[in-house]
Amino acid sequence: MIRREVMRTFRVVVQTLMAPVISATLYIFIFGVVIGGTIDTIVGKPYITFVFPGILMLSVINAAFSSSSSSFYFARFTRSVEELLVAPLSYLEIIIGYMLGAITRSIIVAVLIVIVGVLFGAVTLEHPLLFLFYIMAVSGIFSLLGLLVGLWAKNFEQLSVLNTFLITPLTYLGGIFYSVTMLPSTAAFITHINPFFYFVDGIRYSMIGVSESNMVVGITVITGLILVLGGLVFYLFKIGWRIRV
Amino acid sequence: MSVSNDILVIESLTKAYGEKVVLQDFNLSIEKGSFFGLLGPNGAGKSTLIHCVTGIGKITSGRILVAGHDVETDYQAARRQIGLSPQEFNVDIFATPLQLLDFIGGYYGMTAALRKERAEELVTQFELTDHAHKQFRELSGGLKRRVTLARALMHKPPLLILDEPTAGVDVEQRRSLWKYFRELNQAGTTIILTSHYLEEIEQLCSEVAVINKGQLVVRESISDFTKEGSVEEKYLRLTEGTTF
Repeated sequence: MIRREVMRTFRVVVQTLMAPVISATLYIFIFGVVIGGTIDTIVGKPYITFVFPGILMLSVINAAFSSSSSSFYFARFTRSVEELLVAPLSYLEIIIGYMLGAITRSIIVAVLIVIVGVLFGAVTLEHPLLFLFYIMAVSGIFSLLGLLVGLWAKNFEQLSVLNTFLITPLTYLGGIFYSVTMLPSTAAFITHINPFFYFVDGIRYSMIGVSESNMVVGITVITGLILVLGGLVFYLFKIGWRIRV
Repeated sequence: MSVSNDILVIESLTKAYGEKVVLQDFNLSIEKGSFFGLLGPNGAGKSTLIHCVTGIGKITSGRILVAGHDVETDYQAARRQIGLSPQEFNVDIFATPLQLLDFIGGYYGMTAALRKERAEELVTQFELTDHAHKQFRELSGGLKRRVTLARALMHKPPLLILDEPTAGVDVEQRRSLWKYFRELNQAGTTIILTSHYLEEIEQLCSEVAVINKGQLVVRESISDFTKEGSVEEKYLRLTEGTTF
């Protein structure tokens, strides 16, 4: 299944790999170089270095979500999901297959964007293992969300609803381009209850060594989301919601 | 009939889609090694029955055993026994035949070497060599049918379910497939065949059952079924008055 998902990724490489890299490059250039060139430092770091982890996380989130949501919805649309239902795969195997396919895509996207970041002088890596943890864990969360949307959607338009109205706004409001210390207290409080803030802050800490949150809270939020979403997706697969007639 | 001789046992199966009951208290058992024909008008419940056996559909009540394995509580073992060639094409249309066979072999736990060997064997058997690297969506209807047949046979299942296996296939290829199905059956594979080509049922099956409105109307050996005429004549008599 992982091979199949990776093959899918490379089948439409312009959409799956080149588009996020181009998008991230533009963000890095505009926010990091053009605007960042006018800002001294933020939390003691050059702006381009501060903003890069969030841009990277944005791309990882989109890659993971798109991978599993489009793949699974397309499987339902073409009824090729029946191939999985007839095969002796456990529901856990199916879910892990989709997750690992999405995580693989996210890692490839992350590597390409890091290469771009290196070219712009935006990359530092203080805690490599933690970096890997955040990439994989956040990809895992959004691959599961993607599966949920892939299960729920009744048409292609609905695939983008969650991304448009929830994921993108919460990601941008999670502190990609600004420090939470710049916000008034109410806004800062709201940011601290936005789970996306912990994704951005965690990867930022792993790269530049600066955190604006409690790391234990962040890792607990991430782990909790994986368990809750994973449990929900497993339950829905087990009862055959929207996949078994 | 002892349970150990039956590869498929369906007990008191009821399947409803919401308020609409498609199969009602349906019972059927099929012996290992038989070539079993399943007939019925459109909407009779044949595809629903196949979906329940293979795991595509959820059972409302009742029980289905495949080689002794419950399709709900022991579904992985049950599904390992089955190969399905469905009526509707349910494949990744952008994958090639070789890729499709490779993936399905992986789902059934076949090693890479075995998948390669078996895929090449099936591509040759079904005359897909010239088309093995084309995307599924680029193939003609007959070729697509052969790909889904090859896919069903990838893991050499003891129970093969063929839902309209020769629809869209040309006459020569149909005869060739018939010969192949006979050989498979003679080698021990149990085959359940549904088809609107009644000649196909008559030529291939040792036993036939007719389903109508979710009920088993008749089950006979092919010789008894055709005692008073052709399969078509008997079938039309049994389903007379059915509205569509």
